[in-house]
Amino acid sequence: MRPRLTRRTLGKAGLLGAAPAPLLAGCGIGGGGEMVLSDEPVELRIAWWGSDLRAQQTNEAIEAFQKEHPRITVRGEYKEFGAYWDGLATTFAANDAADVVQMDEQYFNSYSDRGALWDLNEAAEFLDLSKIDPELLPTGQVDGAQFALPIGSGVLAFAVNADLFAQYGMELPDDTAWTWDDYADIANELAQRGGGDITGTAITGGVDVGSLRYWSRQHGNELFAENGDVSLDPGLLVEQWEYYAGLIASGAADTAQQMVEDTGAGVEGGRLATGKTAFGLIHNTQITALRSGSGADMRLLQLPQNGTPANFIKPAMYWSVSAGSEHPAEASLLVDFLVNSREAADILGTERGVPANTEILEYLGPQLDESERMAVDYLEAVVTGDPIRVTPNGGSSVNPLITRYGQEVYFGETKPEDAADAFIAELQGEIDATR
Amino acid sequence: MTAAAELRHLKGAAPKSKPQNKAAFWFLLPWFLGLFAVTLGPMAASLYLSFTKYNLLQPPEFTGLANFERMLTDERLHSSLAVTFTYVLVSVPIQLALALGLAVLLDRGIRGLAFYRSVFYLPSLLGASVAIAVLWRTVFGTDGLFNEGLALFGVEGRGWISDPETALSTLITLNVWTFGSPMVIFLAGLRQIPVMYYEAAAVDGASPLRRFTSVTLPLLTPIVFFNLVLQIIHAFQSFTQAFIVSGGTGGPTDSTLFFSLYLYQRGFGNFDMGYASALAWLLLVIIAAFTAINFWASKYWVHYDD
Repeated sequence: MRPRLTRRTLGKAGLLGAAPAPLLAGCGIGGGGEMVLSDEPVELRIAWWGSDLRAQQTNEAIEAFQKEHPRITVRGEYKEFGAYWDGLATTFAANDAADVVQMDEQYFNSYSDRGALWDLNEAAEFLDLSKIDPELLPTGQVDGAQFALPIGSGVLAFAVNADLFAQYGMELPDDTAWTWDDYADIANELAQRGGGDITGTAITGGVDVGSLRYWSRQHGNELFAENGDVSLDPGLLVEQWEYYAGLIASGAADTAQQMVEDTGAGVEGGRLATGKTAFGLIHNTQITALRSGSGADMRLLQLPQNGTPANFIKPAMYWSVSAGSEHPAEASLLVDFLVNSREAADILGTERGVPANTEILEYLGPQLDESERMAVDYLEAVVTGDPIRVTPNGGSSVNPLITRYGQEVYFGETKPEDAADAFIAELQGEIDATR
Repeated sequence: MTAAAELRHLKGAAPKSKPQNKAAFWFLLPWFLGLFAVTLGPMAASLYLSFTKYNLLQPPEFTGLANFERMLTDERLHSSLAVTFTYVLVSVPIQLALALGLAVLLDRGIRGLAFYRSVFYLPSLLGASVAIAVLWRTVFGTDGLFNEGLALFGVEGRGWISDPETALSTLITLNVWTFGSPMVIFLAGLRQIPVMYYEAAAVDGASPLRRFTSVTLPLLTPIVFFNLVLQIIHAFQSFTQAFIVSGGTGGPTDSTLFFSLYLYQRGFGNFDMGYASALAWLLLVIIAAFTAINFWASKYWVHYDD
């Protein structure tokens, strides 16, 4: 007998415990170096998640940085999204995190609250924050401390396949003034004319945190309250689920099964990209991947407004400097280069979202290709409401949670009322557990 | 020499072979180092962590039995236990029956035995790999190979992996498919059965079925027992298949949330390493209990040939 995996699993957990807990509770900076440049040669590590294309570009930008700062050597590490977060937690626990780490809106509070990140205001000498879009900059702050620097922004959008509209003789809707009823009618019409070949729309709500926030904001409600508690009105979530359940039942939308498969296939290979449905929910910058993956005439439309602007600009991602970094000054220099220099902008383009640095965005303007242009134009055209409140510590599992409960509702396993209450209770429980 | 005398002899002989002991010690040292540094040490640490609240970034905080009390009311834990038990209790018996059946067929000295043995063994080498899990996801998708096969017979398929009602069955099938390693062990066991028993049975006019139930099966019970224990332990620890096929979620709707996957989600997804450590110990206890029951029950059905 060999309970091998158990031992290994236990072993892993144990090794983490054996490592000296590096970071002092509640203290912003622990264990790391000082915010001054070193006279010696310095070695830095930078970690991010993303595609091969991103890796290529980032490594190229790193080389440009090294040319400018011959004393500094930078090593890049990258993974795909899920593996990145699993790995990041363990490297932070072992006090072996990269000096510069790419962060996400849903996670950075979980790290900053535990004292794992530098307040970048302290790096003012090396890192210029003045060019960053003032609407975005606060999304990386907690009580004024800049734990994460937004580097690009994204906004929710409907992607539509205009080819399918043309094929079935339908007009694209006017997205500056339309309602959820209009959207449902169009989806039903498309599905009918498609005669079983296509559905009108993918399930564009109730299984992801973005659409959930959108729906609740449309009714003057917010997912999270100022104090970090869940403030979502369960009635609104029920309403959203019932709306989509209606679309599924009428055949206007994909089935729950198709939705699950679609998630596995990714944007470039999903049902929208392969012409099996006409509407999908994406972030505006994903239009590039969608257009190249499908080859179809994909357009961006604003979500139905029902008269109330509810959309919000979301930082696509951030750079953070880990508190354990031995060379925070050099790390800040690297971040400064990536975010503020034209040289880096030439290499990185809009791959990490529409640049948060307004000067860089202006500079890049003439170089953008057609789909990048679409993403930028959409961002400028979209009507947004108040900025969203960032996800509190403990809330990083909100997306998997809403996916699970949404699936239960769409598969008909749980009643919307019960699922809404359970969702809120479980999310609140995760947040409470970190307090 | 009786066994007792032999033992005395060995004990008495031991001091005389001191140089040998020393050599043995040095040879065993790397193993001991590994045992203490990589296995026992971390296990002790995780036992401690299971009584704490530990978020990976801040020092663990002792909370007594809180983690274990939480298990009683943790509904996702309960559903993950249900999924795991279903998986183990369904897939292991089917897998062993298939392995035994094929082993008996292959044992008849057919031509190209080595070839068939390798072919059947192959899935065991590949079954737990990421590549096969990815392949499985494609094969059992709506437009997958499996549905195309069904279409040949006019049967309309479905998204086997995206439907909560069938998702677990595809993973059970995947585990059954890795019947090769118990099969090879069965084959070795079959070779151990003296031919004279079959000859005697044949002379007595026993049918092939009778020969199987009265000669093969009883003499093979130690091997069945061995495989049973091994495969149950193995199945309880399944992780890769569910992780890849469900994209790490255990979905759709937690229908493939294996115990080890849930443990992983708590520890690495939710910064909940104290609770995850407690879960790891729960799994250890469950596996130990199953193994103990197996050993206890074996007294009633396993025949050792002596």
